[in-house]
Amino acid sequence: MTQPGAGGHALPRSLAAHRSASIIAGLCGSIFLLFLVAPIARLVAGGGRSGVAELFTDVELRGALWLTAVTATLAMAAGALGGTPLAYLLARRPFRGKAIVAAVLDLPLLIPHPVAGIALLLILGRESAVGRVLLHAGIRVAGSPIGIVCAMVFVSAPLYISAAREAFARVDTRYESVARTLGDPAWRAFRRVTLPLSMRGLVAAAVVMWARAVSEFGAIVILTYNPKVASVLSYDRFTSFGLTEALPVAAVLSILALVPLVALRALRPDRGAGMDV
Amino acid sequence: MIHVDGLDARVGAFRLRGVTFTVPRGQYGVVIGPAGSGKTTLLETIAGVIAMQAGQVSIDGRDVTGASPETRRLGFVYQHGYLFPHLSVERNVTYGASDAAFAGEIAERVGARALYDRPVRALSGGERQLVALARALAVRPSALLLDEPFSALDPRTRTRTRRTVRALHRELGITVLQVTHDFTEAGLLGDVAILLDQGRVLQSGPPEGVFRRPASAYIAEFLGAENVFSGTVRALGDGALEFRSGPLTIHTVGDAADGATHAVIRAEEIVLSLEPSPTSARNQFAGTIEEVATLGALTKVTLDVGGVPLAAALTTRSAEELALVRGGRVYASFKAMAVHLC
Repeated sequence: MTQPGAGGHALPRSLAAHRSASIIAGLCGSIFLLFLVAPIARLVAGGGRSGVAELFTDVELRGALWLTAVTATLAMAAGALGGTPLAYLLARRPFRGKAIVAAVLDLPLLIPHPVAGIALLLILGRESAVGRVLLHAGIRVAGSPIGIVCAMVFVSAPLYISAAREAFARVDTRYESVARTLGDPAWRAFRRVTLPLSMRGLVAAAVVMWARAVSEFGAIVILTYNPKVASVLSYDRFTSFGLTEALPVAAVLSILALVPLVALRALRPDRGAGMDV
Repeated sequence: MIHVDGLDARVGAFRLRGVTFTVPRGQYGVVIGPAGSGKTTLLETIAGVIAMQAGQVSIDGRDVTGASPETRRLGFVYQHGYLFPHLSVERNVTYGASDAAFAGEIAERVGARALYDRPVRALSGGERQLVALARALAVRPSALLLDEPFSALDPRTRTRTRRTVRALHRELGITVLQVTHDFTEAGLLGDVAILLDQGRVLQSGPPEGVFRRPASAYIAEFLGAENVFSGTVRALGDGALEFRSGPLTIHTVGDAADGATHAVIRAEEIVLSLEPSPTSARNQFAGTIEEVATLGALTKVTLDVGGVPLAAALTTRSAEELALVRGGRVYASFKAMAVHLC
C-alpha cells in the first residue's frame, strides 16, 4: 500500500515504518553508547597524559599499580585453582544440591561489595577465630596484601566459575567418552581432551576475573586500606586532595583496563571448539 | 563375542529395560530401531560410558559389567566421528595406540594415512569417519561399536565406507555391533539383527529370519511389512491352515492353534497378472489397482481386494509390461509358504 498522492515513488507503509523504527533505535543506541563512553573519554582526555607522565615520577602510583597487578594475578590463580574443578563438576556431574551450590556461588555478585568486605572481616579479621589462628601462625590477612587477594577472590571468583562452567559445557561429553574408550582414565581424558578444548574459554574466564579483581574497591577498602591498590589510591587522592589530584590516577587505571579488553577480544570463543568434528 | 544379559540403564527419563542378546565372536551385529529407541544409549552402556543399573555385559567371555571404559577394550565410532579438533589426523589415529606401526598399518588400510597432512576441520564427513574408524581399530579392540557411522554420509561415500568396514571386519575377524535405523543396512551388513524399540529388544536373530518371520504384528509393521492382517486361523489338517480376515480367506501352512492371530505377507512375495494364472500358488485374489508408485527399479502397487488394501512389489520393467494403471483389474497370487502367522 502506498501513501496517498505519493505516486509511484512512495515507499510501502511497512518499509517506511521499518525505516523510522531503525532511526529511533539507532538514536537511542547512540545516546546510550555516548553515556557509557563519554565519562571514560573525558577522564582519559583530562588526565591521561599527566597520568602516564606520573607513572615515571609518582612512586606511590607505581607501587599501587604493581600491587594491584600482583594481587589480582594471585587472586586469579587462586580462583582458577579452586574454581576450575568446581566449574567442571557443575558443568558435568549431576549431584544433590547442585542448584543450591550454583546459587550460593552467585551470591558474592549480588551483595554490595563493602558488605562483602565486612563479611570477610568478620571471618578473617583479627578478632575472628580464623584470623586469630592465622595471626598466631604469622599470617595477617586484614591490612595486608593477603587481605586484598582474599577480597578480590571473593568478589571475582564467581565470574570465573560461571564462565569456566560455560566453557566446559560447550565441549561435547562424547569427546571424553571417545578418549575413555581409547584407554584414558577419567583424569587423563580431562587433561588430554576436555582441558585443551575448553582452554580458550578458561583463559577468557581468567581474564574476566583478573579485570574484575583489578577494578575492585568496596571489599578491599574494608579489609585492607593500606597498602593501597590503585582503586583505593584513586579514592584516597580524591578524598584527600580533590579531583585534580585523583584525575591522573583514575585516567591511568582506565587506560590499563584496555589490556584485558583487548585480551578478551583476542580470546573470543573459537566457533569450532566443542563442535563435533 | 558380545553378550548382553538383562541390561537396565537410565538416562534422564529414558530407560533401557532387560536388554538381552548375543553377537557371536567375529560376527556383525546390527541393532535396528527408530530414533529415540535407545540405540546410542545401548552402545554407550556396553562401552561403560553410561553406568548400567542391572544386568551383565561380557566381551569375549570376560565379564566387564563393573569395568571402567578404558579397560573394556572396545572401539567406539560415533555418528559424527568426534575427532579431536585440537590434534592432527595422525595424532587422532595414534591417540590410544600402544603400537604406532600397527596404527599406521590400520590407517593405511582404512585410507586415513593419506589424510595425515590435512587439518581435522578440513576433512569431509566420510573422511572423518575413516579416521575415527582407524583411531578405534588402532587400539586393537576386542569388539567395535559403531553408532550410525554411515547415516551422515552421502549415498556414494556411504556405500564405499560401508564396504570398507565390512572388508575390515572380515580381515580382522573382529566382532562388530552397529546401530542403525536403516533396515537395508541391517540386511546388507548384519549376521545378527537386534530390533530395539522404546528401550526393549523386540526380537533378535539372523536378519533374514527376523525380516521374514517377525514375532508379532507390531514387529512386522515396525520392519515395514506392507501387508499385516488381523483375523482368525483354523486348522484344516495335515498342517494346512485357513486364515480369515474380512473378505479374505488365505491358505497357509504351519502348526498354529485355532484362534485370533495376524498374517504377514511381504509385498515382494505377491505376483501380479492380468488374467487368473494357473500357478501353484494357493492364494489368488482379483483386485482393482488403487495406486502405482515407481521407486527406481521397483514399483509398488496397491490393490483394493474387496475393500482390503493389498500391496505388491515388482520390478518397474514388469510393471511396464503389464501396463498397470490406476483403476485397472489384476490378479494377485502368492504361495501358502509366503504367509507368516504371528
